Amino acid sequence: MTVEKIAVTAEIQRFDPACDKAPRFETFQVTGLANMRVLDVIRSIYENQAGDLAYQFACRIGRCGTCAVRVNGVSVLACQERCKPHMRIQPLKPFPVLRDLVVDRTEIEGRLEQLKLAPLRTTEHPSMPEPIAPKLAEELCHMDSCLLCMVCVSACPAVEERPFDGPAFMLKLRHMAKHPQDTRNRLDQAVEHGMLECFNCDVCTQVCPADLSPAQAIREFRKELMFGGKRPLQGRPG
Amino acid sequence: MSQGLTLPRNTTQQAEKPLHGNIARWLHRITGMVIVLFVLVHVVAQTILHVPAFAAVKADMPWLPTVQSQHWVHALLYFSIVFHTLYGLKLLASETGIRMGYRASLWSNVALSALVGLREVLRYAGI
Repeated sequence: MTVEKIAVTAEIQRFDPACDKAPRFETFQVTGLANMRVLDVIRSIYENQAGDLAYQFACRIGRCGTCAVRVNGVSVLACQERCKPHMRIQPLKPFPVLRDLVVDRTEIEGRLEQLKLAPLRTTEHPSMPEPIAPKLAEELCHMDSCLLCMVCVSACPAVEERPFDGPAFMLKLRHMAKHPQDTRNRLDQAVEHGMLECFNCDVCTQVCPADLSPAQAIREFRKELMFGGKRPLQGRPG
Repeated sequence: MSQGLTLPRNTTQQAEKPLHGNIARWLHRITGMVIVLFVLVHVVAQTILHVPAFAAVKADMPWLPTVQSQHWVHALLYFSIVFHTLYGLKLLASETGIRMGYRASLWSNVALSALVGLREVLRYAGI
Protein backbone atom coordinates (compact mmCIF):
# COMPACT_ATOMS: atom_id res chain seq x y z
CA MET A 1 0.00 0.00 0.00
CA THR A 2 1.43 3.41 -0.94
CA VAL A 3 0.86 6.29 1.40
CA GLU A 4 0.62 9.77 -0.07
CA LYS A 5 3.26 12.31 0.90
CA ILE A 6 2.85 16.00 1.53
CA ALA A 7 5.25 18.95 1.53
CA VAL A 8 4.24 21.39 4.23
CA THR A 9 5.29 25.01 4.51
CA ALA A 10 4.77 26.03 8.11
CA GLU A 11 5.11 29.60 9.32
CA ILE A 12 5.51 29.48 13.07
CA GLN A 13 5.16 32.48 15.33
CA ARG A 14 8.33 32.86 17.38
CA PHE A 15 8.53 35.08 20.41
CA ASP A 16 10.84 35.10 23.36
CA PRO A 17 10.03 37.96 25.72
CA ALA A 18 13.62 37.82 27.01
CA CYS A 19 15.12 38.89 23.67
CA ASP A 20 12.34 39.74 21.17
CA LYS A 21 10.50 43.04 21.09
CA ALA A 22 7.64 41.69 18.97
CA PRO A 23 6.53 38.31 17.61
CA ARG A 24 7.99 37.27 14.25
CA PHE A 25 7.29 34.41 11.86
CA GLU A 26 9.83 31.77 10.84
CA THR A 27 9.16 29.54 7.84
CA PHE A 28 9.97 25.82 7.83
CA GLN A 29 9.56 23.08 5.21
CA VAL A 30 8.51 19.61 6.31
CA THR A 31 7.86 16.57 4.14
CA GLY A 32 5.94 13.63 5.51
CA LEU A 33 2.85 11.49 5.23
CA ALA A 34 -0.27 13.25 3.99
CA ASN A 35 -2.22 12.22 7.08
CA MET A 36 0.22 13.97 9.45
CA ARG A 37 -1.32 16.12 12.18
CA VAL A 38 -0.23 19.66 12.91
CA LEU A 39 1.55 18.36 16.03
CA ASP A 40 3.62 15.95 13.89
CA VAL A 41 4.78 18.92 11.82
CA ILE A 42 5.67 20.94 14.93
CA ARG A 43 7.54 18.00 16.45
CA SER A 44 9.44 17.39 13.22
CA ILE A 45 10.47 21.06 13.13
CA TYR A 46 11.55 20.89 16.78
CA GLU A 47 13.56 17.69 16.25
CA ASN A 48 15.21 18.56 12.92
CA GLN A 49 15.21 22.30 12.34
CA ALA A 50 14.55 24.41 15.43
CA GLY A 51 15.59 22.81 18.70
CA ASP A 52 14.73 25.96 20.59
CA LEU A 53 11.07 25.97 19.54
CA ALA A 54 8.78 26.05 22.59
CA TYR A 55 5.51 24.12 22.31
CA GLN A 56 3.39 21.89 24.51
CA PHE A 57 1.77 18.50 24.18
CA ALA A 58 1.06 15.50 26.36
CA CYS A 59 -1.38 12.81 25.23
CA ARG A 60 -1.36 13.14 21.40
CA ILE A 61 -4.89 11.67 21.21
CA GLY A 62 -7.02 14.73 21.86
CA ARG A 63 -7.65 14.06 25.53
CA CYS A 64 -5.46 16.54 27.40
CA GLY A 65 -5.94 19.78 25.45
CA THR A 66 -2.42 21.09 26.04
CA CYS A 67 -1.40 21.28 22.37
CA ALA A 68 -4.06 23.83 21.34
CA VAL A 69 -2.78 26.38 18.80
CA ARG A 70 -4.18 28.54 16.04
CA VAL A 71 -3.73 27.26 12.49
CA ASN A 72 -4.45 29.77 9.73
CA GLY A 73 -6.37 31.83 12.29
CA VAL A 74 -8.59 28.98 13.52
CA SER A 75 -8.10 27.54 17.02
CA VAL A 76 -7.53 23.77 16.92
CA LEU A 77 -5.96 20.91 18.84
CA ALA A 78 -2.61 20.37 17.09
CA CYS A 79 -2.71 16.61 17.71
CA GLN A 80 -6.12 16.26 16.02
CA GLU A 81 -5.96 18.74 13.19
CA ARG A 82 -4.78 17.36 9.87
CA CYS A 83 -1.86 19.30 8.38
CA LYS A 84 -2.25 21.48 5.31
CA PRO A 85 0.26 22.43 2.60
CA HIS A 86 0.48 25.98 3.94
CA MET A 87 0.04 26.64 7.63
CA ARG A 88 0.48 29.69 9.78
CA ILE A 89 0.79 28.41 13.33
CA GLN A 90 0.28 30.82 16.22
CA PRO A 91 -0.33 30.51 19.96
CA LEU A 92 -3.88 30.77 21.31
CA LYS A 93 -5.22 34.26 21.75
CA PRO A 94 -5.97 36.24 23.92
CA PHE A 95 -3.65 34.63 26.44
CA PRO A 96 -0.20 36.06 27.21
CA VAL A 97 2.58 34.21 25.39
CA LEU A 98 5.33 32.70 27.54
CA ARG A 99 7.43 31.66 24.53
CA ASP A 100 6.69 30.70 20.91
CA LEU A 101 3.54 28.53 21.04
CA VAL A 102 3.26 28.27 24.82
CA VAL A 103 0.70 30.48 26.55
CA ASP A 104 0.43 31.43 30.19
CA ARG A 105 -2.52 29.58 31.77
CA THR A 106 -2.26 31.29 35.17
CA GLU A 107 -5.33 33.45 34.54
CA ILE A 108 -7.33 30.44 33.35
CA GLU A 109 -6.47 28.49 36.49
CA GLY A 110 -7.35 31.53 38.59
CA ARG A 111 -10.77 31.87 36.98
CA LEU A 112 -11.49 28.18 37.40
CA GLU A 113 -10.58 28.42 41.07
CA GLN A 114 -12.82 31.47 41.42
CA LEU A 115 -15.79 29.54 39.99
CA LYS A 116 -15.51 26.86 42.73
CA LEU A 117 -16.27 23.99 40.37
CA ALA A 118 -17.07 21.35 42.98
CA PRO A 119 -20.60 20.54 44.15
CA LEU A 120 -21.58 22.49 47.26
CA ARG A 121 -23.58 20.02 49.35
CA THR A 122 -26.09 20.84 52.04
CA THR A 123 -25.99 17.35 53.53
CA GLU A 124 -23.06 15.20 54.46
CA HIS A 125 -21.92 12.69 51.84
CA PRO A 126 -23.49 9.29 52.66
CA SER A 127 -20.12 7.56 52.06
CA MET A 128 -21.64 5.43 49.34
CA PRO A 129 -22.53 6.06 45.70
CA GLU A 130 -25.70 8.11 45.40
CA PRO A 131 -28.38 7.10 42.86
CA ILE A 132 -28.60 9.26 39.75
CA ALA A 133 -30.87 9.06 36.72
CA PRO A 134 -28.96 7.30 33.91
CA LYS A 135 -29.83 9.98 31.35
CA LEU A 136 -28.59 12.77 33.65
CA ALA A 137 -25.47 10.75 34.45
CA GLU A 138 -24.75 10.39 30.75
CA GLU A 139 -25.30 14.11 30.18
CA LEU A 140 -23.01 15.05 33.08
CA CYS A 141 -20.40 12.60 31.87
CA HIS A 142 -20.52 14.12 28.39
CA MET A 143 -20.21 17.68 29.75
CA ASP A 144 -17.35 16.56 31.96
CA SER A 145 -15.39 15.57 28.87
CA CYS A 146 -14.49 19.25 28.34
CA LEU A 147 -10.69 19.32 28.04
CA LEU A 148 -10.34 22.97 29.08
CA CYS A 149 -8.14 23.31 26.02
CA MET A 150 -9.40 26.90 25.60
CA VAL A 151 -9.95 26.40 21.86
CA CYS A 152 -13.49 27.77 22.26
CA VAL A 153 -12.35 30.74 24.36
CA SER A 154 -9.70 31.57 21.78
CA ALA A 155 -12.19 31.36 18.88
CA CYS A 156 -15.01 33.23 20.67
CA PRO A 157 -15.65 36.68 19.14
CA ALA A 158 -17.44 37.86 22.29
CA VAL A 159 -14.33 37.23 24.42
CA GLU A 160 -12.44 39.51 22.05
CA GLU A 161 -15.01 42.32 22.09
CA ARG A 162 -16.78 42.16 25.45
CA PRO A 163 -16.22 41.44 29.16
CA PHE A 164 -16.94 37.71 28.81
CA ASP A 165 -14.89 34.95 30.44
CA GLY A 166 -15.57 32.53 27.62
CA PRO A 167 -17.63 29.51 26.59
CA ALA A 168 -15.54 26.88 28.43
CA PHE A 169 -16.21 28.50 31.78
CA MET A 170 -19.95 28.69 31.04
CA LEU A 171 -19.98 25.01 30.12
CA LYS A 172 -18.25 24.14 33.40
CA LEU A 173 -20.80 26.24 35.31
CA ARG A 174 -23.69 24.55 33.47
CA HIS A 175 -22.17 21.18 34.32
CA MET A 176 -22.28 22.15 37.99
CA ALA A 177 -25.79 23.65 37.65
CA LYS A 178 -27.02 20.27 36.39
CA HIS A 179 -25.30 18.35 39.16
CA PRO A 180 -28.01 17.04 41.50
CA GLN A 181 -25.92 17.61 44.65
CA ASP A 182 -24.77 21.15 43.88
CA THR A 183 -26.60 23.92 45.70
CA ARG A 184 -24.58 26.95 44.62
CA ASN A 185 -26.37 29.52 42.43
CA ARG A 186 -24.54 28.86 39.17
CA LEU A 187 -26.83 31.13 37.15
CA ASP A 188 -25.72 34.18 39.14
CA GLN A 189 -22.10 33.12 38.70
CA ALA A 190 -22.61 32.76 34.94
CA VAL A 191 -24.15 36.24 34.70
CA GLU A 192 -21.30 37.68 36.80
CA HIS A 193 -18.77 36.15 34.44
CA GLY A 194 -20.35 37.68 31.31
CA MET A 195 -22.83 35.03 30.14
CA LEU A 196 -25.17 37.72 28.74
CA GLU A 197 -22.39 39.03 26.48
CA CYS A 198 -22.41 35.86 24.33
CA PHE A 199 -23.33 36.52 20.65
CA ASN A 200 -24.97 33.11 20.32
CA CYS A 201 -22.98 32.49 17.14
CA ASP A 202 -22.11 28.84 17.94
CA VAL A 203 -18.46 29.22 16.86
CA CYS A 204 -17.53 27.48 20.13
CA THR A 205 -19.73 24.51 19.17
CA GLN A 206 -18.10 24.25 15.77
CA VAL A 207 -14.51 24.34 17.03
CA CYS A 208 -14.90 22.21 20.18
CA PRO A 209 -12.62 19.18 19.77
CA ALA A 210 -14.71 17.26 22.32
CA ASP A 211 -17.96 17.75 20.34
CA LEU A 212 -19.53 19.71 23.18
CA SER A 213 -21.78 22.74 22.81
CA PRO A 214 -20.90 25.52 25.25
CA ALA A 215 -23.37 27.71 23.30
CA GLN A 216 -26.19 25.35 24.26
CA ALA A 217 -25.09 25.55 27.91
CA ILE A 218 -25.37 29.35 27.64
CA ARG A 219 -28.80 29.05 25.97
CA GLU A 220 -29.99 26.86 28.84
CA PHE A 221 -28.72 29.41 31.37
CA ARG A 222 -30.52 32.20 29.48
CA LYS A 223 -33.73 30.17 29.38
CA GLU A 224 -33.39 29.63 33.12
CA LEU A 225 -32.88 33.38 33.55
CA MET A 226 -36.01 34.22 31.55
CA PHE A 227 -38.41 31.50 32.65
CA GLY A 228 -36.89 30.22 35.89
CA GLY A 229 -35.03 26.96 36.40
CA LYS A 230 -36.29 23.47 37.12
CA ARG A 231 -34.89 23.55 40.63
CA PRO A 232 -35.96 26.18 43.18
CA LEU A 233 -33.19 28.68 43.91
CA GLN A 234 -34.25 29.29 47.54
CA GLY A 235 -31.70 28.15 50.05
CA ARG A 236 -28.92 28.13 47.49
CA PRO A 237 -25.97 30.13 48.70
CA GLY A 238 -24.61 32.61 46.11
CA MET B 1 -23.60 5.69 20.09
CA SER B 2 -23.84 6.94 23.63
CA GLN B 3 -22.84 10.58 24.06
CA GLY B 4 -20.31 9.64 26.72
CA LEU B 5 -18.53 7.12 24.51
CA THR B 6 -16.94 9.01 21.66
CA LEU B 7 -13.35 7.77 21.76
CA PRO B 8 -11.28 7.87 19.65
CA ARG B 9 -12.12 11.28 18.27
CA ASN B 10 -11.96 11.80 14.54
CA THR B 11 -9.32 13.89 12.88
CA THR B 12 -10.44 17.47 12.62
CA GLN B 13 -10.09 19.72 9.59
CA GLN B 14 -11.30 22.89 11.26
CA ALA B 15 -8.78 25.23 9.68
CA GLU B 16 -10.12 24.39 6.21
CA LYS B 17 -13.76 25.12 6.97
CA PRO B 18 -15.46 28.49 7.28
CA LEU B 19 -16.66 29.38 10.77
CA HIS B 20 -20.40 29.50 10.13
CA GLY B 21 -21.10 31.47 13.29
CA ASN B 22 -18.73 34.23 12.21
CA ILE B 23 -20.28 34.39 8.73
CA ALA B 24 -23.76 34.67 10.24
CA ARG B 25 -22.67 37.26 12.80
CA TRP B 26 -21.02 39.49 10.18
CA LEU B 27 -23.89 39.07 7.71
CA HIS B 28 -26.27 40.14 10.48
CA ARG B 29 -24.20 43.25 11.16
CA ILE B 30 -23.72 44.12 7.48
CA THR B 31 -27.41 43.63 6.59
CA GLY B 32 -28.34 45.81 9.56
CA MET B 33 -26.04 48.54 8.26
CA VAL B 34 -27.48 48.18 4.73
CA ILE B 35 -31.01 48.70 6.11
CA VAL B 36 -30.02 51.77 8.15
CA LEU B 37 -28.06 53.22 5.22
CA PHE B 38 -30.96 52.66 2.82
CA VAL B 39 -33.44 54.34 5.18
CA LEU B 40 -31.14 57.36 5.58
CA VAL B 41 -30.52 57.72 1.83
CA HIS B 42 -34.21 57.12 1.11
CA VAL B 43 -35.35 59.85 3.54
CA VAL B 44 -32.88 62.36 2.08
CA ALA B 45 -33.78 61.43 -1.53
CA GLN B 46 -37.53 61.64 -0.91
CA THR B 47 -37.09 65.01 0.80
CA ILE B 48 -35.20 66.39 -2.18
CA LEU B 49 -37.70 64.92 -4.64
CA HIS B 50 -40.91 66.02 -2.94
CA VAL B 51 -40.26 69.08 -0.73
CA PRO B 52 -40.72 72.29 -2.79
CA ALA B 53 -38.00 74.07 -0.81
CA PHE B 54 -35.46 71.66 -2.35
CA ALA B 55 -36.59 72.20 -5.95
CA ALA B 56 -33.26 73.80 -6.89
CA VAL B 57 -31.31 70.83 -5.48
CA LYS B 58 -33.66 68.47 -7.33
CA ALA B 59 -32.97 70.29 -10.61
CA ASP B 60 -29.22 69.76 -10.09
CA MET B 61 -29.74 66.01 -9.55
CA PRO B 62 -31.63 64.63 -12.53
CA TRP B 63 -30.21 61.15 -11.82
CA LEU B 64 -31.80 60.97 -8.35
CA PRO B 65 -35.12 59.28 -9.32
CA THR B 66 -33.14 56.60 -11.24
CA VAL B 67 -31.09 55.74 -8.15
CA GLN B 68 -34.35 55.05 -6.32
CA SER B 69 -35.46 52.45 -8.85
CA GLN B 70 -32.37 50.30 -9.35
CA HIS B 71 -33.23 46.59 -9.27
CA TRP B 72 -30.00 45.63 -7.48
CA VAL B 73 -30.61 48.21 -4.72
CA HIS B 74 -34.03 46.72 -4.00
CA ALA B 75 -32.72 43.16 -4.28
CA LEU B 76 -29.97 43.98 -1.76
CA LEU B 77 -32.43 45.74 0.52
CA TYR B 78 -34.94 42.88 0.49
CA PHE B 79 -32.16 40.34 1.05
CA SER B 80 -30.93 42.41 4.00
CA ILE B 81 -34.38 42.85 5.55
CA VAL B 82 -35.24 39.15 5.32
CA PHE B 83 -31.84 37.91 6.53
CA HIS B 84 -31.70 40.42 9.39
CA THR B 85 -35.23 39.50 10.49
CA LEU B 86 -34.72 35.75 10.29
CA TYR B 87 -31.37 35.80 12.09
CA GLY B 88 -32.81 38.15 14.72
CA LEU B 89 -35.72 35.73 15.25
CA LYS B 90 -33.24 32.86 15.50
CA LEU B 91 -31.36 34.75 18.22
CA LEU B 92 -34.61 35.43 20.06
CA ALA B 93 -35.58 31.77 19.82
CA SER B 94 -32.14 30.82 21.17
CA GLU B 95 -32.78 32.93 24.24
CA THR B 96 -35.61 30.56 25.09
CA GLY B 97 -33.25 27.59 24.99
CA ILE B 98 -34.25 26.37 21.52
CA ARG B 99 -31.34 24.73 19.74
CA MET B 100 -30.94 25.24 16.00
CA GLY B 101 -28.15 23.84 13.87
CA TYR B 102 -25.75 26.68 13.12
CA ARG B 103 -24.99 25.44 9.61
CA ALA B 104 -28.57 24.68 8.60
CA SER B 105 -29.95 27.91 10.06
CA LEU B 106 -27.32 30.06 8.34
CA TRP B 107 -27.69 28.56 4.88
CA SER B 108 -31.48 28.31 5.04
CA ASN B 109 -31.63 31.99 6.05
CA VAL B 110 -29.29 32.94 3.21
CA ALA B 111 -31.30 30.86 0.71
CA LEU B 112 -34.64 32.35 1.80
CA SER B 113 -33.26 35.89 1.73
CA ALA B 114 -31.69 35.33 -1.69
CA LEU B 115 -35.02 34.04 -3.02
CA VAL B 116 -36.76 37.22 -1.89
CA GLY B 117 -33.94 39.32 -3.39
CA LEU B 118 -34.18 37.37 -6.64
CA ARG B 119 -37.92 37.96 -6.73
CA GLU B 120 -37.21 41.71 -6.83
CA VAL B 121 -34.83 41.29 -9.76
CA LEU B 122 -37.47 39.23 -11.60
CA ARG B 123 -40.16 41.80 -10.77
CA TYR B 124 -38.07 44.53 -12.36
CA ALA B 125 -37.57 42.27 -15.39
CA GLY B 126 -41.36 41.93 -15.64
CA ILE B 127 -41.36 38.19 -14.91
